[in-house]
Amino acid sequence: MKILVCIKQVVDPEKVEYNPETRTIKRNAQHLMNNPADLSALEFALRIKDVYKDVHITTLSMGPAECESKIKELIEVGCDSCVLLSDKRLAGSDAYSTAYALAKAIEKLGNFDLVLCGESSLDGETSIVPPQIAEYLNIPHISFATNIKVFDLQRIEIERKFKNQLFRFEVKLPALVSVKKDSAFLRLPKLSLMIKALSYTPQVLSLDDLENFDFSKVGAEGSKTSVDRFVEQSFEDVKCEIYEGLEAAQIECIADLVMRFL
Amino acid sequence: MEYFLSEEQKIIKKLAKRISDEYVSKVAIKYDKEGIFPRDILDLLAYTELTGVYIPKEYGGFGGGVMEMCLVVEELSRNCAGVAVSYAATALGAYPIILYGKEEQKKKYLPKIAKGELIAAFALTESDAGSDVSSIKTTAEKKGDYYILNGSKHWITNGGEADVYVVFAVTDKSKGPRGISAFIVEKGYEGFYCGKKEDKMGIRASSTTELIFEDCKVPKENLLGREGTGFIVAMKTFDRTRPGVAAMAVGIAQGAYEYAIRYAKERVQFGQPLSSFQAIQHMLADMYINIEAARAMLYSTCRMIDSGAKDFSKESSACKVFASDVAMKVTTDAVQIMGGNGYVKDYPVEKMMRDAKVTQIFEGANQIQRNIIASEIIKEY
Repeated sequence: MKILVCIKQVVDPEKVEYNPETRTIKRNAQHLMNNPADLSALEFALRIKDVYKDVHITTLSMGPAECESKIKELIEVGCDSCVLLSDKRLAGSDAYSTAYALAKAIEKLGNFDLVLCGESSLDGETSIVPPQIAEYLNIPHISFATNIKVFDLQRIEIERKFKNQLFRFEVKLPALVSVKKDSAFLRLPKLSLMIKALSYTPQVLSLDDLENFDFSKVGAEGSKTSVDRFVEQSFEDVKCEIYEGLEAAQIECIADLVMRFL
Repeated sequence: MEYFLSEEQKIIKKLAKRISDEYVSKVAIKYDKEGIFPRDILDLLAYTELTGVYIPKEYGGFGGGVMEMCLVVEELSRNCAGVAVSYAATALGAYPIILYGKEEQKKKYLPKIAKGELIAAFALTESDAGSDVSSIKTTAEKKGDYYILNGSKHWITNGGEADVYVVFAVTDKSKGPRGISAFIVEKGYEGFYCGKKEDKMGIRASSTTELIFEDCKVPKENLLGREGTGFIVAMKTFDRTRPGVAAMAVGIAQGAYEYAIRYAKERVQFGQPLSSFQAIQHMLADMYINIEAARAMLYSTCRMIDSGAKDFSKESSACKVFASDVAMKVTTDAVQIMGGNGYVKDYPVEKMMRDAKVTQIFEGANQIQRNIIASEIIKEY
């Protein structure tokens, strides 16, 4: 079984910086992290590999060369190979352009039985890249999965929890599934895999490597949407009360109360 | 400072740090308070393959040495020395097998210890034989295909939790220290019981118990080394594991130091943070100086041992003494900097101070270590 997981390298929200002129996020390699929802998707792929030994996991990322350091972390948890689609012509691509480029890269990389994505990225939050990739690939798509069960490498069952309801879908492969953030937490790395990652170099693709690629569909020019402006959110209006000198028991009561409303 | 660690060693330190910060820190106070053995953390260490860092490659380990073991212990100790000692005690039980085990013994036990499937322990101390190791009274009498063990052991780390114990017993009383032999005793052997669990001041997440042997039948093939070599087995093992105590001490001190700095920067008195007062700054500077010196001494000793040096008792003892005294001083100062908040159990430094104390006591009290060092240096000059 061949599984492909799309993993975006995003900027840590606590360290994010914007370029006001280009209206884009500065991608400082030091502040990059793998998108949490995508890592939930990867964890599901690894769980399938735990059960079925003949499973090959490839990850696909799109971004500048700085992303390579974070991509290596995917090898540390058990991915078999990692691919980075990196090309300056992709700069400024919106969700539509990104989905097109990723779909073309997936076509180039081969016949995958299962494509997994996170529900959305921390820096975009559109949730529309996964269904668009599925449309381009002409395969079924199920969104916001909270669990994935594999029957026999031909069919999978997807669970989606929504408030008090649980939906179950069964789909034949190949298919694309987008996974809800926090539905699974990525496992710890293994020492031997971390050593392997030391000398691992991801495969880098440029747009010239992709077949029948329509260059007019990507980059800022090819995008359907553009960022108009950034607005810094002010927290000045948020009411905050500080309590001092609380006993441990009182703190526990307050913590319980807060947890109940989360 | 990374002290010229190899890329692999940096990875081991990084991985152990991650487990320590993400998992150990969350359970440290609870496990200390309730005396919970950290089996879940040991399982994580097993999953990440850190349980096998000091086991030779041919027996399923990473192939590292004392340095690799110490890096894990140091990082775990930054958040909980009780967790760290539960990990380190397996190394103490495994080293006699690595050093003196027959091929069949190594093949039987080491791969499972490396994978974390077996927890090990080292059983030497008795109620009347602590620093005076040669006065142990537990006996082992050979009868047919078995040795019959009788006696009891005290303050055994991982007692009751371990699957494999290296136990020292007298096989020939007339020969003194040369009449002691070492045996591999498995949990579940007939006549082997776990006794009282100690209610300790510190390292409360670790299990420390009495072990009782009543006509305990140990197969003769479980004799470690030759009959009468037990004292050497113990001493050579300690030479390699004393740096583990130093690593624990460095880790505890580092944890207390980091906490004290953060606190000193946040706590405001007389309108300014504590960190702006020179009295506090000097305490923080001394903490840093001592920790760095202890770490440098620890790493250089580890490097010396792993390089294949033949005699390193003096260096091994010296780093244990220095680091444990540093841990006691640094944790006491961290409590002092935090004042009342340092003295209560809501903050971790109170626990760190309690944990630090044992590093001056176990695996040979610091007074005995100074005897060893003095005896070596007097011989040299």
